Amino acid sequence: MTTSVFLTVNGRRHEVTAAVETPLLTVLRNDLGLNGPKFGCGLGACGACTVLLDGKAARSCVVRLDAAAACGNIMTLEGLSPDGSDPVQKAFVAAQAAQCGYCLNGMVMTLRAFLDVVPHPDERALKEALRYNLCRCGTHVEIMRAARIAAGLESVDQETAVHAKENDGT
Amino acid sequence: MLQIFRKSQPPTGLAARGGHFVSREDVLVQIDADGQVLGFCGHVDLGTGIATSLAQIVADELDADPARVRMVLGHTDKTPDQGATIASETIQITAKPLRKAAAQARRVLLDRAATLTNHPAPDLSFRNGKLEGIQGQERSMDMGDLVRDVTLRVELDEGTPVKAPSEYRLVGREMPRVDIPDKVTGRMVYVHDVRVPGMLYGCVIRPPYGGYDHGPFVGRSLLDVDRESVSHIPGLVDVVVIDDFVGVVAEREEQAVEAARALKVTWAPIALPDLSDPIEAVRNNPYEPRVVLDQGDAEGHLETLAHRLDREYHWPYQMHGSIGPSCSVAEWHDAGLTVWSGTQNPHMLQADIAMLMGMPKERVTIIRHEAAGCYGRNCADDVGGDAALLSRAVGRPVRVQLSRAQEHVWEPKGAVQLVRIRGGLDESGNPLTCDLDTSYPSNVSPLLALVLTGVVPADIPPVAQMGDRTAIPPYEYANTRVTVKDMPPMARASWFRGVSALPNSFAHDSYIDELAAEAGVDPLEYRLRHLPDQRAAELLKATAARAGWEPRTEPPQPDPAERILHGRGLAYALYVHGPFPGKPAAWSAWVADVEVDRLTGEVSVTRAVVGQDAGLMINPAGVRHQLHGNVIQSTSRVLTEQVTFDDKGVESKEWGGYPIIQFPDIPEIEPVLMERQDQPPLGAGESTSVPSAAAIANAMYAATGVRFRDVPFTPEKVKARLDEALGVLEPQPVAALPALLVSGEPAQPAMARQGWKGRLRTAGFGAAFALAGGALVSLMPWRAPIAPVAPPVAGMFSPEIIARGKLVAAAGDCAVCHTAPGGQKNVGGLALETPFGTIYSTNLTPDPATGIGRWSYPAFERAMREGIGRDGRHLYPAFPYTAFAKTSDADMQALYAYLMSQEPVSKQPPKTALKFPYNLRFSMAGWNALFHSTAPFAEDPNRSAQWNRGAYLAEGLGHCSACHTPRNALGAERWKSDYLAGGEAEGWIAPALSALSRSPLPWSEADLYAYLRTGFSPNHGPAGGPMAPVVHAMADLPDDDVQAIAHYIASFDTRQAPDGASARREDVLTRTASLQALEKGEGARIYSSACAACHEGEGAHLYGARPQLALNSNVWAETPDNLIRVLLDGAPSPAHQAANTMPAYRHLFSDRQIAEVVGFLRRTMAPEKGAWTDLVARVARLRAEGGH
Repeated sequence: MTTSVFLTVNGRRHEVTAAVETPLLTVLRNDLGLNGPKFGCGLGACGACTVLLDGKAARSCVVRLDAAAACGNIMTLEGLSPDGSDPVQKAFVAAQAAQCGYCLNGMVMTLRAFLDVVPHPDERALKEALRYNLCRCGTHVEIMRAARIAAGLESVDQETAVHAKENDGT
Repeated sequence: MLQIFRKSQPPTGLAARGGHFVSREDVLVQIDADGQVLGFCGHVDLGTGIATSLAQIVADELDADPARVRMVLGHTDKTPDQGATIASETIQITAKPLRKAAAQARRVLLDRAATLTNHPAPDLSFRNGKLEGIQGQERSMDMGDLVRDVTLRVELDEGTPVKAPSEYRLVGREMPRVDIPDKVTGRMVYVHDVRVPGMLYGCVIRPPYGGYDHGPFVGRSLLDVDRESVSHIPGLVDVVVIDDFVGVVAEREEQAVEAARALKVTWAPIALPDLSDPIEAVRNNPYEPRVVLDQGDAEGHLETLAHRLDREYHWPYQMHGSIGPSCSVAEWHDAGLTVWSGTQNPHMLQADIAMLMGMPKERVTIIRHEAAGCYGRNCADDVGGDAALLSRAVGRPVRVQLSRAQEHVWEPKGAVQLVRIRGGLDESGNPLTCDLDTSYPSNVSPLLALVLTGVVPADIPPVAQMGDRTAIPPYEYANTRVTVKDMPPMARASWFRGVSALPNSFAHDSYIDELAAEAGVDPLEYRLRHLPDQRAAELLKATAARAGWEPRTEPPQPDPAERILHGRGLAYALYVHGPFPGKPAAWSAWVADVEVDRLTGEVSVTRAVVGQDAGLMINPAGVRHQLHGNVIQSTSRVLTEQVTFDDKGVESKEWGGYPIIQFPDIPEIEPVLMERQDQPPLGAGESTSVPSAAAIANAMYAATGVRFRDVPFTPEKVKARLDEALGVLEPQPVAALPALLVSGEPAQPAMARQGWKGRLRTAGFGAAFALAGGALVSLMPWRAPIAPVAPPVAGMFSPEIIARGKLVAAAGDCAVCHTAPGGQKNVGGLALETPFGTIYSTNLTPDPATGIGRWSYPAFERAMREGIGRDGRHLYPAFPYTAFAKTSDADMQALYAYLMSQEPVSKQPPKTALKFPYNLRFSMAGWNALFHSTAPFAEDPNRSAQWNRGAYLAEGLGHCSACHTPRNALGAERWKSDYLAGGEAEGWIAPALSALSRSPLPWSEADLYAYLRTGFSPNHGPAGGPMAPVVHAMADLPDDDVQAIAHYIASFDTRQAPDGASARREDVLTRTASLQALEKGEGARIYSSACAACHEGEGAHLYGARPQLALNSNVWAETPDNLIRVLLDGAPSPAHQAANTMPAYRHLFSDRQIAEVVGFLRRTMAPEKGAWTDLVARVARLRAEGGH
């Protein structure tokens, strides 16, 4: 059944006309032209499509348009900051935490939601928070470093020290 | 502008199929007037960061500002054809002409500067793009200034000298990746993000030979496509059919997805090869032996060995598993075709698509964009072919996005591999003989559309000689023979990171470890003795030293009483890639520490010290990043990954069926990067994957004393072997949950006080006569029709009465049954499956012809109270008039007013046809006499007003018992003995609401209120199946009424948790966690990778209801049917507003996979209820029933 709804996305109000069961992800990407959230599985299993619904991390491939319309604000990666200045985004750049980067949106958005609720997690909690976000390139080491930086468990400067230790092969 | 170009050269290695070589001038480096430097490379960035490293090389050789250098990669019109981006060759091979071109550009620019400034060229130089060496100038010139207003095209001089490594200023330094800032903000335009004006959306429908690209059935199995089946879908543009290629195109993506789902396609029955045991299949696969090394006399020395060890090493089918399923956009236009693609090999794809479309390849342009990481050949090319065909058919640009299942099933897999070694030791314990043969059924995998459309015949697959990568053992044996059994693929297979080298090295380095153990020599020492390659030996020593390797000569002696066994193992490989004899990439060595859990069989790689010698590292940060990625991905592959097959082909269709590693399981990784900046650079994209399996297997041996020679090392496999070798270790028993107490008298429905009218079957027929007058009337087999009346007119009823009637309709859930799926409200047509046949609900709108428009109030009331239609015919008690009879007159009138005020809709629902004798409507007269009372509702004076309000709504309009009370053989509810004791609805179990409920927590009033009001109770779960629409329908009811229903229903569940509900909840969840910690088999993995993201744990930062399955009565039920049904068909329209939809797994999980996960849930969440048996057959039966 086709319906027209209003969505507030990244602070702007949009009217969207689509079938009510259309996944939010499809609407964000195709109707609003947002590239942050990615289609990964359509099953809520990988996390690549994560957005924030009223600040909570949601897998937009399994959120219907009508459910999304009931939310106050929808935030995508683009809305986190226009220039990459959100501390989580900055941490990912500092840690160089991407290979292909397709899962990156989900990692950043999930961490953003998590740190908003748990500002001072330990490493174990960070791993659990990201457990159901899949990465295939094996960027987990760098992503965890980004997470630690974003959570204040590590400073950007430590990088040099770590590398000095790693590279001492003869 | 300055361009350095080179006459194009045929690519070496993997060349385009059917493509002819066309000579042209390829620009390699270009300097624009604004100072922008462009480098051109035919390879692409697969997420490895080569765009950064190549730019680093260009900037260094040019002495340019690195910020002004940008790489153009993989564009068929702009970049040279340098073959596919495979085998870690980009830096090692493809970058060479680029570096020369940059060096030559620097010389040309300096010469030009000398001319322009009248300074001798040797005095001049660039630094960061600025000209230096001229004294006193106000503004230093930059490169752009030197080429302003001219166009210089200079052919590459292959003899141009390049810088010595000692002169490098940028190469060898850590550089931040150029792409990451865009990726972290959503600015990067992946191929998935390409949008072309006028673009349509396409989906493909793949044939039923899932994951096979050759065989007599390929391209020849389509029987019929029923275009009518999708004609109702809005926005549909076309259905495109070319042999076995089927696609749909629509204006919007979700319309295309829906059309692909709904399209009825008939395929010929297909018998697929049996790949249930791929190793057995590979043994029987035809092959041509190719001896690639024969040194000494391996055959002759087999019988003279002092210690003979014949071994087999097995590798499973595995998949790339790109996180984003492949996507492509194609635009068919007058000049030809443009394809935006995430391909690994733009020029090869260009030739493939040209062949597919029957056009010269010069008219096909491939524009490469970044895509989800691929580690070999996935579906990135295939989807380009799909998009091309669809765009040509509709004459507009078309974007095709594959589904997760399509990517999983159809991506060319990393092939199964069987390596056999015969050989052993001489009397001194030295390796005497290694007679190795290796079987790797894989090829280049044709573009799928080529074989689906029959352009390329698919009967006999081409054989590619790809099993020889790193086939030669790195250790010295006196006699060595290596035979590669060249063979065709079985399932669709192509290269995947490490290709055949990873399994070959698994064999080499497992075998040498076995020989060392046999010889009683420390594994490190033994390798060093027999490893002739000095750089390898240095790497191995450095890696072992970092790991703190302790020599060992004794066999491992695990303590059989220990739960966690620890071990350390090592392995080494030099990855030799490309066609035999191939080229060596970086050297790699591993020291792995593992923990093996005896109880679960789970293996954890806790630490991996990984050494690599990649020669010159252009960007050490990039090399380290690749090392990390390789270690993590290969650990995942070794521990759990295998593609399974059933009679429909690939069974692993999503992440539950093919789980990959998650964050908590990532090893600690310590890289040891050898300083070899004076040596040529070597490919580092794959090397550190190669020793992974052997290192892990050797560590498992050190921990357990058991050799594991077949990847993956899944918990169930490991546990079975360890149980056999070390005896079964019994876990500490997990305490059972205390039973719930049942206290107090069970409640009775309000109508119990009226006597069990009509339900006293033992009282016999006569007794029924003696009851209320209504029963007598009902016995009349034929009843008079009530004359039709004129349809209602607007304004006939007051807004107040209509509003009240709307609430009555909500309480009665009229729309739940009287609305067909996807249909208009109350227009009827929903099929209700009953034991007596299928009943279709009727049209409740006031349409005169097909609805109730000509029903008078008396006719309506008679139907509601007595189950008699206006025409005098009996209605079936699927329509719960037995309950509706209790409705008050005021409510009944309001309901009539509301229904008659709806918009009339003319629609005739399908006709109900029941089995004999139920098809005889007059037989319902006798049924009514026995089972129906028309007595009005009467309150129970011993109960509160709230309880009585709840009773009125629940027993009457709400007709809860219609589903939640069992029925007798004649379909009547058994109120007296079994009120709310659980029944059935549309094939779903309607659980008991009384003390017979199986939910692990009692249903409190608060639980029921939350459940009915929001569709979700945190203590129980979501309203699912047929209950979801009931909650939707109740949305209009006032809170008081919902509270009253909750209050009333809660009075029937007299169970009590001894320590209160929250303690009980905690107990259930803790107990489940304890049990799940002991089970890591396939069911656990499916749950963890497909279900847990929504169902596991609670997170304040996560959106949506998170149903804890351990609390869900369906896991505790007598039968698994509800669980199976929800897995098959999902919850597309959840009752809870802030809830995720649950996907339907009907086409994603096999019967076996559903049985595995359902069995796991039962065992770990409700063990006291006993295991469900014959699960696979039960899933098959429910699947065959179709969706509800």
